[in-house]
Amino acid sequence: MGAERDAQAGPMHSQVNWALLGLVIERPSYAYELARRFERTYDGVLTLSSVSHVYTALAALRERALVEELPGTRIGRQPKPHYRATPRGVEDYGEWLVGQVDEDLRRQRLFVLALATYTRDPRAALEILTRYEQACLAEAARTPIKPREEVCVGDPQALAARLLAEEGRLALGAKLAWVEYARQELHVLADVRMVAG
Amino acid sequence: MSLLELQRVAKRYRDGQLDRVVLREVSLRIGAGELAVVWGLRGCGRSTLLRVAAGIEAPDEGIVLFEGRDLAHNREGVLGAGIGYCQKHLGSGSQMVLDVVMVALLAAGISPSQARVRASEGLERARVASCATLRISALNTAEAIRVALARVLALEPRLLVVDDPVQGVDLLERDGILALLRSLANDGLAVLASASEATGLSGADRTLALSAGELRGPPPAELAPVVALRRASARQVGA
Repeated sequence: MGAERDAQAGPMHSQVNWALLGLVIERPSYAYELARRFERTYDGVLTLSSVSHVYTALAALRERALVEELPGTRIGRQPKPHYRATPRGVEDYGEWLVGQVDEDLRRQRLFVLALATYTRDPRAALEILTRYEQACLAEAARTPIKPREEVCVGDPQALAARLLAEEGRLALGAKLAWVEYARQELHVLADVRMVAG
Repeated sequence: MSLLELQRVAKRYRDGQLDRVVLREVSLRIGAGELAVVWGLRGCGRSTLLRVAAGIEAPDEGIVLFEGRDLAHNREGVLGAGIGYCQKHLGSGSQMVLDVVMVALLAAGISPSQARVRASEGLERARVASCATLRISALNTAEAIRVALARVLALEPRLLVVDDPVQGVDLLERDGILALLRSLANDGLAVLASASEATGLSGADRTLALSAGELRGPPPAELAPVVALRRASARQVGA
């Protein structure tokens, strides 16, 4: 039954839906509270069009049996049903997280293949590389410094911020090293073109 | 006016029969309160650039100016007074931290009692005062770099030059070192650092890349010209 439903629904592409699932995994919440937590957690990374966006996302997550209503929370004159993650939701969320590696690699491949279209004009490619390098350097400089002694060790948001900063810096470091490699390759190509032409 | 200015600096080393060019027409300006970081892979010329900028090595071509004075003619007067080059090697492991920081001050002719006070202040500024009575061998890498910085800061330089300050420092301790450099710049010190990893770029006002001896990066922000306000006439003031 579940597999049949999956086949009909197809993969869930919405990053907002996955992000909300993550928040529900962190702790069960009702829709309005989820919207507030979403804004705090994903500020500047993902945006909700409105609070009703959360209801739509929760409906999609329930449809896929990734979240379920917490029994006993639909009470009172203004019921606030809380949602919790199902074991399947927890498992799928982990798989989605790991799948981000593929997404990152795909984006990087796209950039490299797009740059490769400049191989007929290595000087232009070098110019693009320099601009890319400058963008990486500027982004690395903007990464906030968060000394361990200045943040509360038990604060999950502070931990998330530190993990995010380090992930960004390490990724940028790899990009900068790659730029240097690509630059050397393009210099060789430019020299060959000059001798040949 | 820039505190430090490199104009078309070139540096070569003799490598057997070959002249290896380490720096090619490098130009750079740094002002007070600015944290500039030069990023580059190993062997790109980072350390040479910093030594030339600090006046430790003379360029083969070009000029290095500190506060408008050519270092080629004023090196002795500038080093130890205005420019602080952070030497990471602290010396013998059996020496006490406070003594290591005091040595440079005593060498500069400062009295022992005054040297002790300034060394303590330097350690305090580098947030490593608790290590004052430890032996060098007892320090971890992060503490050692802080002590090395304290040794320079005690001399009250206007320009601090430090080569790859977070190299080898525990991942969780790196931001503390970077925060210290940032706070020094916020206090008005000009800081020129290098980085072999992107982590070392965090918090920089300006980042530059060095490869094959060529420096690339944005120019320093141009200061708006100072325009004197027209003095209000007596009648305008009275109105």
